[in-house]
Amino acid sequence: MSETPPLDLILQNVTKTYGGVTAVDDVSASISTSAITALIGPNGAGKTTLFNAITGFDPADSGSITFGGDSLAGLKPWQVAHLGLIRTFQTPVGFTTLTVRESMLSAALHHSLETPRKALIFSRQIKEVEQQATEQAIEIATELGLIDLFDFRTDELSSGDRKLLEFARQLMANPKMLLLDEPAASVAPNNIGRLAQLILRLRDERGLGSLIIDHNLSFLMQIADTVHVLDRGAVIASGTPEEISTNQDVMRIYLGEKADEV
Amino acid sequence: MTNPIFWAGVLSLALIYGSIALVLNLESGWGGMWDLGTAGLLGAGGYSYVLLTLDNPDLGTRFLPGWPMWLAWIGASLFTGLVALAIAIPSLRLRREYFLITTLALAEIIRQLIVIQKDITRGHTGIANLDRPLDSLVDARTYNYIFLGITAFAAVIVYLITRRLGHSAYGRTLRGARDNEALALSLGKPVNQMRIKTFVLSGMLIGAIAPLYVFYLRAISPGVYASGITFHVWTALVLGGIGSAFGGLFGGLLLIVFTEGIGLVHIGAFPDAVKENFSIGLLLVLVLRFRPDGVFSERRTFRARTRTISESDTRTSDQLSTAGQK
Amino acid sequence: MQNVIFGIVTGCTLAIATTGFAMVRQSENFLNIAHAQMMALGAFIGVSLVESHGWNIFIAGLMAVVSVGIIGTVLAGVFFRPVKHQGGTVLLFTSIGLAMMIYAVNIAFFGNKARSFLSVGFGERRNFAGLNILDYELIIVGLTVLTIIFLQLFLTGTTLGRSVRAVASNDDLARIRGVPVGRVSNTVWFISSALAALSGVMIGYQSSVSPELGWRQILFVLAAAVLGGLRSISGVIVASLLLGIVMDVSVLYIPSAYRPVVAFGVLVLVLILKPEGILSVQRRKESVAT
Repeated sequence: MSETPPLDLILQNVTKTYGGVTAVDDVSASISTSAITALIGPNGAGKTTLFNAITGFDPADSGSITFGGDSLAGLKPWQVAHLGLIRTFQTPVGFTTLTVRESMLSAALHHSLETPRKALIFSRQIKEVEQQATEQAIEIATELGLIDLFDFRTDELSSGDRKLLEFARQLMANPKMLLLDEPAASVAPNNIGRLAQLILRLRDERGLGSLIIDHNLSFLMQIADTVHVLDRGAVIASGTPEEISTNQDVMRIYLGEKADEV
Repeated sequence: MTNPIFWAGVLSLALIYGSIALVLNLESGWGGMWDLGTAGLLGAGGYSYVLLTLDNPDLGTRFLPGWPMWLAWIGASLFTGLVALAIAIPSLRLRREYFLITTLALAEIIRQLIVIQKDITRGHTGIANLDRPLDSLVDARTYNYIFLGITAFAAVIVYLITRRLGHSAYGRTLRGARDNEALALSLGKPVNQMRIKTFVLSGMLIGAIAPLYVFYLRAISPGVYASGITFHVWTALVLGGIGSAFGGLFGGLLLIVFTEGIGLVHIGAFPDAVKENFSIGLLLVLVLRFRPDGVFSERRTFRARTRTISESDTRTSDQLSTAGQK
Repeated sequence: MQNVIFGIVTGCTLAIATTGFAMVRQSENFLNIAHAQMMALGAFIGVSLVESHGWNIFIAGLMAVVSVGIIGTVLAGVFFRPVKHQGGTVLLFTSIGLAMMIYAVNIAFFGNKARSFLSVGFGERRNFAGLNILDYELIIVGLTVLTIIFLQLFLTGTTLGRSVRAVASNDDLARIRGVPVGRVSNTVWFISSALAALSGVMIGYQSSVSPELGWRQILFVLAAAVLGGLRSISGVIVASLLLGIVMDVSVLYIPSAYRPVVAFGVLVLVLILKPEGILSVQRRKESVAT
């Protein structure tokens, strides 16, 4: 293990309002990039909005977000991605007409290799990089059960497979930290296990942490190191999975008022 | 009228149209930038070429650079690339519909400017009797064959270039960004920059093809570059199959051969303009209705395996319908 | 100031054409490039009836409007309805094909040369506050105002008109609510084509009628439609008037040859500077990000 301190994703007083609605309300958190952090909360709690703010798709109105000490303010989404923050999308539209192979290769290559000039001079460098990337892609695809679909187009995959592709593809982009938006939704139950295993292995073997939004609490609680609970834009609780699952406030927002009667 | 000299000429025109369609496929088909400004770029390329070669003071134009053909040709390509850059920078962030309209409007602006700057371009009068490459070698009739050779050579080069671009890593990500821009951004792809590069490259290619069209006509005038030619090239592309590597070229061949064939058929005393426009318009409408994917498909070009058995049963074109639903 | 009058007249004819265009854009969800060809068709029918058959201009105009309205509705059913499910881009390109066909038919039936309303007068000059106003200018503006009023009354006062507005704002919802979408579609096409013909006759009267009118005018219509916001009719009318005034006033300062360039230049400038352009990119990102 190297001596460099773990990069942290630090949110300070992040706020985002739409019209009169406060989607993200003064959120502060320090998220380790080598651990697995879960972000849970009811629908509309502001989780995806937070993702959009972090990755530059819909910047926050106020507050600061830094990653490894670098401020993310004013960065365009593609620049945020270059810092190593890679996100997935809730609806895995993907690259509709690209095959699984093509999607993953596109994710793997640095954009400096993807210019008309490089294309026309038949760069050997690209060939080598693509070869390596293809091997890596085959590995990941096999692990997630997508290998039989390797040369099928994205728009021909089932929604569950597209979800897995979403994860597999973004993984190819050399992330320092993953932001996963509902990675388990619509995934077949046996594949959820594989997904969980892979996320854990990434943490253990590569020190690659994830910030995960999901509604599948059993999936999350198994793998998360830390859990943050969001309700109506604000963080109402943080802790280990055990602490959160016994937290009264949390239970109340999930189960309604009935939790008090328990 | 089945004389081979005539058909050599027809084929040359077809190859020129096809080459333009291949470039259109690169920017619009693979790049997803629906461009209705082809006529404008052709005009920029054609006129910059002609104006750079002018050396006859009797023409009454202000500038007589008198450049040699090969240099003017390169100049035309670069100039058109610059024009494309000027168009791309402010326009590419517009939504598809608006980009379409903007390019159409800009093409007409270019044409109007050519008309207005009479002392440079001779306006509507145009310039005739232009020299063509290698035309001093043979007599006028045999020249058709030489010209056919030249256009065929050009078409092959354009085909190889565009095909190479399509199959490259750049082409792959370009298509991905067309399908899902946000996703491409999330992977660190500078989509806007890529698109500008694509558009400028397309401009340079069109600028390189433009002189061929001028040679074919042996003359140049602003009327040539009205929107009609844009629509004809688009029809060729739709016919041949948007998104395929070969479709544009094939569509160009099909279209021109078809229209010349129609021109030979005597249906009443209709002038050529009538028969041409009606048949091309009808062709476009029919292709969109019954075979919107065209003859060649993008799927086949990028050889994706398919699950669905009767994919050819689906009447909805991938490209055009997903574009329309945005 | 005189030029402002010209501009208003230009703007009126443009407003009529663009209103029809915008109605189709709202209800059928695509840019109908063939719209300007219907303007040319209407102009040709009008000029033929008047010059070759001696009809009265107003009756000829009415005939042109009604017949083109019907023709447009039929053409829409034949060409656009079958591909409606394929989306706006296919419809756009189909309209380009149709435009080429109508252009050809116009030449075939009416000839390739320009024609003018020579035998019609209304050139009498009147003087208001130092400004010269010609009779026909009054008629055009008057007709425009009347048309807009009638259109408004129709859209707000009749059931069919309200159905048209319902479909324009949300056609899925309208269909669920039982709005007769087919009848609405036919109505919109009739009105749109009729307005195109009316505008065509007006333009033909002021300058001349040629087959190229169809290709020339579509750009002005697009400009006015985009400037007015593809969503609102009143926006389109205002944009048309503004465009007309800007075009006709500009000739005082720059050579008149630049007149069309001014219009397109304004369009391009506004598109580039207009927030909608930036917002739409943002919206694109968000729509996939959520």
